Amino acid sequence: MPNAFLVVDDSKLHHQMYNLAFARGTLAGSTVYHATNGREGYTLLAAHPELALVLLDLNMPEMNGLELLARRRSENLHPHIPIVLVTTEGTPEDEARGRAAGAWDYLRKPFQPADIERVVARALERAAPGPT
Amino acid sequence: MAADENAFSELIQDYIVECLPLAEQVGDAFVELERRWQEGDPGDNTLAALAGPLHTVKGNSAMMGIAPAQTVAHALEDICALLTAEPRLRGDEGAALLVSGSGMLIDLVRRAAGGAQPEAAAEFAEQARAFITSAQTGAAASESAGESTERRAGDRRITSRREEAASGPGSVVRVDFRRLDALLEVLGEGMIEQSAVIELYRRLARKVGPSDEVADLDRALLALQKTIKRMEGILMETRLLPASSVFNRFPRLVRELAHAAKKPVRLVTSGGATPLDKAILDRLGEPLIHLLTNAVVHGIESPEERARAGKPAEATLDLRATSESGRVVIRLSDDGRGLDDASILAKAEALGLEVRASDPEQLRALIFLPGFSTVKEVSSLAGRGVGLDVVATSIRELGGTIEVSSRPGQGVSFTLSLPLTLAILRSLIVEVDRERYAVPLSHVTATVRTEPDTMHQINQKGVALWRGDLIHVADAGELLGTGAPPNGSRRFYVVIGTGARRRGILVDRLIGHQDIVVKSLDTTVGRPDVVSGTTILGDGRVACILDVVRILDQRVPA
Amino acid sequence: MSAAPGKPRTGSVLHFADELDRQSPATEAPTPGAELHLVTFALDREEFGLPIGQVREVIRVGEITRVPQARPHVRGVTNLRGRVLAVVEIRTRLGLTVATTTPRSRIIVVGVHDRTLGILVDAVSQVVKVPAATVVPPPEEVLSPGTDYISGVARWNSRLIVLLDLEKVLSLQD
Repeated sequence: MPNAFLVVDDSKLHHQMYNLAFARGTLAGSTVYHATNGREGYTLLAAHPELALVLLDLNMPEMNGLELLARRRSENLHPHIPIVLVTTEGTPEDEARGRAAGAWDYLRKPFQPADIERVVARALERAAPGPT
Repeated sequence: MAADENAFSELIQDYIVECLPLAEQVGDAFVELERRWQEGDPGDNTLAALAGPLHTVKGNSAMMGIAPAQTVAHALEDICALLTAEPRLRGDEGAALLVSGSGMLIDLVRRAAGGAQPEAAAEFAEQARAFITSAQTGAAASESAGESTERRAGDRRITSRREEAASGPGSVVRVDFRRLDALLEVLGEGMIEQSAVIELYRRLARKVGPSDEVADLDRALLALQKTIKRMEGILMETRLLPASSVFNRFPRLVRELAHAAKKPVRLVTSGGATPLDKAILDRLGEPLIHLLTNAVVHGIESPEERARAGKPAEATLDLRATSESGRVVIRLSDDGRGLDDASILAKAEALGLEVRASDPEQLRALIFLPGFSTVKEVSSLAGRGVGLDVVATSIRELGGTIEVSSRPGQGVSFTLSLPLTLAILRSLIVEVDRERYAVPLSHVTATVRTEPDTMHQINQKGVALWRGDLIHVADAGELLGTGAPPNGSRRFYVVIGTGARRRGILVDRLIGHQDIVVKSLDTTVGRPDVVSGTTILGDGRVACILDVVRILDQRVPA
Repeated sequence: MSAAPGKPRTGSVLHFADELDRQSPATEAPTPGAELHLVTFALDREEFGLPIGQVREVIRVGEITRVPQARPHVRGVTNLRGRVLAVVEIRTRLGLTVATTTPRSRIIVVGVHDRTLGILVDAVSQVVKVPAATVVPPPEEVLSPGTDYISGVARWNSRLIVLLDLEKVLSLQD
């Protein structure tokens, strides 16, 4: 069964980029759900327990990335789904704040499709670790 | 990472579609804020709301590998952050930086498809850094010392930076292009009036004879001419836009055409920074779109054909712009099937045209004639079947030329040559049968006095021996319909054209060189073949401008 | 007759405002449809009229530069204060022969749609206000497919003024 992913970002261009990335290489054939703000993103997250990974932009109107993470934690929604925060900045304090809020990892911009493949591979590995 | 190695580079048009409105929104807001700050209104909500769009443009630019835009957006973001936190810094200097930076950002985003120069962006980032640092140290100094001398030193630093910012490469103003057109028109009138004054001066000088006053007047007029010439130069520069402003829409267009035609085709553009007069640029889009459509729909073979021919499945269209000695050359090539010479020959014969099958260049030039379409199917994409004759006419109306070259099975290449400016032309004024005409100097190779021993008749066609070559010579009166004169009145001929297409035109007198203001011919007068426009000479009379390209195109009368 | 370069317009233009004031008091507002405001001009012995709304100005005839391969009925172009104006030979358009210009000849500068051009006429008569009631359709004998540019004939003060439809006159078919 192909993997399902959720991308939450207020930039239409980024959604096009994600589509490009999820259509090639090891990710080809993936199902991708799109949300343009945190509120939409939360709704879709709740509706799809089968998601392999969520890519969450930090700065969005109407509930930003951190707010979404906070709400998910307080409602304990699908804690098994890894959420990756996508951001341009990266001070250690920011990262710590994100992880504290519940982000599993960070994806720093600018990224290329290969970076998404890597993050997905790590997430899948974590969910079902291979034989050691 | 360079933009062209970027996996997302095919989304460049989408990038522009998303980021250009954001950049413009930010730019407009900064202009508004500048006004408000001058009135003492801090404009809080506006400033805070701009953080989002700037952040998006910065992130998108980074994703697309467009470093200059990313740099400028980042710098603007930083300045905004500083000014949001420190309302007392919201003033002229900060506003000037924001306005100039956003103008640069808009430009960078708009020209993203054509490639941008990173230096200007880096310089702006420097200015931003300097402003922020000085603001922070200035704040620290005034807080700690509270000394008026410290403050004055800070002010002086800020003032000189303001001057730098004002004169820096990022300073941009927005001007309605109609103002530039109006300016050009007024300049044109000024040049006409200048010619009139010079003409009057000449008459006066002849009447009065040499004298100190005449010499002074001569010098003054020369200085005036130089100044007006400089004005013309600067004005022409303001009207220049990069070729990418018209190239930008094409990658998406080609993608759509290719998709509809079910052929994989990609468009590669280069030379997007090449400058062109906006007036020309505005009218270049349509002919280029026709050429691109033709290439995709008719020039490129189906994927199966290409496979059989051993060509890569994805066809390539190459569009490039370059500056070449005062002209802009735009080349559009494809790696398709090339022109079918046999079809062209057949069509020519069907139309009753006389052709030499042995001259492929002349043969292929026929495709620009009206009614000449060798396309077998009419496709709905190519639509109303706009022919290449319309393209050729559009290019000619811009004062340009279009040529085609082709290699069967390998592709077709169109070369457009356009003048840098539309409106002012260096020309040679000649007299034929007491009427004066202007010949664009860029097409004039030489002027020659007719000597009996160099003029001959071969098969009753006039030829001349010029620099060792035999060139065909036509009578201007015949060309222009005033008729060939009795022997002897044509004392000069003007050599026009280059290479194989070179001719002499017999005229009565050579009047001189003149910068003329081109006034397009009213459609009321019609569309003469030999005249491309009109101008007003120093004596107030209207003179026709000879359409040298069309004259050269004309077949030598049998 | 040549126009000197850059000569100011005042000496060479009929001032229509003055004409209008002289012929009718400025307070009188023309009722649409009740009267036709015409510029009349002569070709041979015939009188013709053009709606004043289409007339920009009237100028003396300066140098008209011939344009090679121009459309039929185009005499050439002339300099109108730095603008190149096309001059139409209305005589030939209306089926008359070309006449040499005289000191009374004039160019009527007209605006049709967004084009401005000049019409060369033998002489300009006056600006007149003709009651719409005096206009009759042109007599059938006069009308022919080639003369559809006549929109009517005004009989006024024992004069016969042929009203021209400028657009049709200027739709020069080659």
